[in-house]
Order: sequence, then C-alpha cells, then structure tokens
Amino acid sequence: MKKTVAIITTLLLMAAFAASALAAEVAQGRCVSIDAQTLVLEEFDTVKTDANKHYGNPTGIETAFDVSAAKIGIPPEPGDILRIAYVIKGDAKQAIKVMNVSKQDLSKKK
Amino acid sequence: MKKMLLLLSAALGWTLLPVLAFAGGASELVVVADTRVLTGMAKYFANLYNTNIVLFALWATVLTALYGCFLGFLMDFIMSRSGLDLTSRKIVEH
Amino acid sequence: MEFFYMYMPIAGVDVFWPGLVLIGFSVGVIGGFFGMGGAWMVTPGLNILGFPMAFAIGTDMAHIAGKSMISTIRHSKFGNVDYKLGLVMLAGTMVGIEIGAQLVMYLERLGIVGSVVRWVYVCFLALITFMVFYDYAKAVSNKKKGITGEHGTEGITWYKTLHKINIPPMMHFHRAGITCSAWLPILVSLLTGILAGFLGIGGGLLRMPALVYLIGSPTHVSVGTDLFEVMISGLYGAFTYSMKGRIELVAVFVMLTGAAIGAQIGTVATKYSKGYGIRVAFGIAVLCCMISIILKQYHFNAASAVLILSTIGLICLYICKIMFQGAAKELREKKQGQPS
Repeated sequence: MKKTVAIITTLLLMAAFAASALAAEVAQGRCVSIDAQTLVLEEFDTVKTDANKHYGNPTGIETAFDVSAAKIGIPPEPGDILRIAYVIKGDAKQAIKVMNVSKQDLSKKK
Repeated sequence: MKKMLLLLSAALGWTLLPVLAFAGGASELVVVADTRVLTGMAKYFANLYNTNIVLFALWATVLTALYGCFLGFLMDFIMSRSGLDLTSRKIVEH
Repeated sequence: MEFFYMYMPIAGVDVFWPGLVLIGFSVGVIGGFFGMGGAWMVTPGLNILGFPMAFAIGTDMAHIAGKSMISTIRHSKFGNVDYKLGLVMLAGTMVGIEIGAQLVMYLERLGIVGSVVRWVYVCFLALITFMVFYDYAKAVSNKKKGITGEHGTEGITWYKTLHKINIPPMMHFHRAGITCSAWLPILVSLLTGILAGFLGIGGGLLRMPALVYLIGSPTHVSVGTDLFEVMISGLYGAFTYSMKGRIELVAVFVMLTGAAIGAQIGTVATKYSKGYGIRVAFGIAVLCCMISIILKQYHFNAASAVLILSTIGLICLYICKIMFQGAAKELREKKQGQPS
C-alpha cells in the first residue's frame, strides 16, 4: 500500500515537473491583428490611471506572437484587450495562453 | 500523526488516475495571471498557473492540506489551554 | 480603507478580506457542527463580496478540504471519527461520484441537464427535511409513551432492519458501535456518491443523514466520519478544479484562517448538544437550502442569497450560543469541584 502510494506520487511529481519550462512572460494590450499563426498586440503598461482604470495605458509598441500552439479562450478580434503568457524561443515569442480580458467577464458564472 | 500522513499520501495517490484523464480535456475558460505586477511568492505561483498547471494544482492541494493540518494542530494546542475537557462528552444519545 | 482590501494575484482583483474571513468562520462553525462541507453556503457569500465567480468552485473546494481537516482533527479527539467506517465508505463514495458525473454528461448529451439536476436536488432535500422532522416527531411521541431504547428515545429505526442483512464479510465498527455487513456502508456511500457527483456537491448534506438513518451510526459519529469523507473528496475536488485553473489560493488561505476558529466552536458545540438538537438544526438548514434553490430556479437570485446568508448567520449564532454556554457551565462546575 505504502509502496504504491510512493510510486504514484513520484510519477505524478515527475509528470508535473517535466511538463514544461517554468518561466513565462506576460504581456497585455490591444489586439491589432490575428490569424491562425500570428497575433499582433499593441502593448499596454501596468500603470492604472483614471482614464485607464483596468487595462493600463497604450505604449505604442507593437509585438507579434506566435499563437499556433497557444491555448486560446474566447476568440480574440482586433480591438479586444488581451493578456498573453508567452515564452521566448530564439527570435520568436511563443504564446502559451491567450486570455480575452475585455470579453471574459470573470464575475460571471462559467 | 502517522495516520494523518498516511491518509494524506493515500489521498494524493488516489487523485492521480481520474486527473490524468481530465487533463486531456480542454477547459473553455482561459485565464492568464498578470505576473507583471507581482513579486516573490505570488509571482512564482502565478507563473506556475500560467505555465505548468499540473504542478500548480499539486501545490494548491498540498499547501491546503498542510495549512489545514497546521491550523488544526495549532488550534488544538490553543483549545487545550482553555481548560475544557475536549476528549469526552457527557450526553449519551443516539 | 486600503488595508481592508487584498490583492488576488491570479484573478487580479482586490477583495474585501474581512468578508472572506467571516465566510470562512461561519462555514467553519456550521460545517464543524453538522459535518458537511457547505459549498452551497460559500458561493452566494463570495458572490456578494464581488469575488470572481470563475474562481469560486476551486476556491470553495480547497477551503472545504482544509476546513474539514481542521474539524476532523478536533472530532477525532472526541472519538467521533470512525476511520474504519470512513475508509470503507470512501470506496463507495469514489465510485459513486464517478458514476454520478458520467450520468450528468449523459444528460448533457440529451440536453436536459440543468433543470433535471436542480429538481432532483430539491426532491432530495425535501425528502431529507421530511425524514429529519418526521423522525423527530416520532421520537417525541415515543418519549411521551415512555418507549426508550438502549440509546434513549429513537424515532426512525430503519437501520435495525438493514443490519439484519448478513452477507459476508460482516464488520464491526468500534466507534460507531455497530456491526453489519460491509456491503451496507459501501452501498449507502455508493448511492450518496452517485447523488453527490450528479448534483455536483460535496455530499455531506446527503451523507450525514444517510449515516444516521440507514447505517445507524450515532449522530456525533456521523458528523465526524462524514467530515473525514468531505475532507478527502474536497482535496480531490480542489486538485481537479485547480487543474482547470479555477482556484484563487490566496482566498483559500484567508478563508481557512477564519474557518480554523469557527471549526473549533462548531465542533466543540457538538459536545454540549443532544443528538436530536443537531438533527433538527440540520433539518432547518437543509430546508432553507432547498427554498433558496427553488428561488434560484425562478431567478430570484437576490432573495435566494439573502435567505442563505441570514440562515447561516442565525444558525451560526445559535451554535456559538450552545458552545459558549456549555463551555462556561463546564468551567464553572470545574471550579466548584476543586477544593481550593
């Protein structure tokens, strides 16, 4: 009994650690364009002012993300505010998850 | 104490099988934690949330269990100082 | 004012943390006293605090697991937890929850899941409420007639018939003080498990009365053993919902801190309360839960939340009263007992 538990726990731990790289960056901003491969985002900063209470202010920097392997929530359209978790692989910024901040009301059920 | 540990590990082991089946199915809700505004512990866990949800779930379960245990024994210690008899009850009724 | 707001790192919102502590506290009191998880009580509370509902399920589950652990430790000191019975039932509960979940998916394919689940829930709550009060009425009338069993006056004694089934292996449960076929608790837990999985609840609400009426375990042992069960299924639930990203750990910890104190009060109160006192209060809680679900079905959301929260408040106060009166009396008696 104890042995089985130990084996199962170890396997689970290994599965957990092997799953993926640990460090990811996060970017938030307005979606400029999107297709199956790439998503261009105008990045926002993290300063909250009265004019931009929720999302921060536009910085004017446009960044392209590779979204071919990303897990995407509500399908983004140009103009939506998105939050992207990504890893840098070589020159490309590879998105892991894309959250549609403006269309996903977290206070609603489901 | 030993019983508790055994139970904990049993519970952990037991969670494995159905969970692996669950992991395949995609959930309709995608949330990205904003790690840009976080530091320290919170940043570590938010980062895990974004990148490695399995490890995050594991941490969440283990930490909840540990904190529950910790609070349970701490409260037990405090209550034992109150002078109440906490090991027996007088009223016998079905 | 800033001090009272806490940043939730994953949801990215500020939440009024004393509110979280208060929810944890009251659910701790009630859960420790009745031996249930109380997921149905946490959600409307979180809703009112403006907590993101997307994270409610996992947060709820993890908090319940931790809280049940605290209560189980305390109940275990009283000898209210029958681990053997708990472990035997665990097998049935797990299989049952899985079957229940599959059933829901089947209904989902048929496209009739929502209202069916809700009405089944209401029916069962009605049944439990009826059973609790019928049992109580019967016990009262038996008492008047002077009929008393070895455990005092009793109402419903179905378990006595069920204990006559002697399919091996027969098992003796020391704490609960019963001997029966091992298949009885397994079958009962399987049934409550199926229902719990089907309804998407922890199942304490169903298992506690099932332990009392069908297995014949004393009320206090039912509460303790049920909490043990709730703890394990809560941990499991916390894990699966975390996997789906539906958890806010910071909120779990804040709520647990409140629950730790509440659980002590609720659990110690069982010491000063008669078995029937616990059962009747439980019946009232279940009744209110039922009404609130009916209200929700007809979209009176505010009324339903008000009803649940005021019920929680009142029951919580009632339990606190039992606990503090009992404790004060015991301490007074202790003082008088000492010669100095």
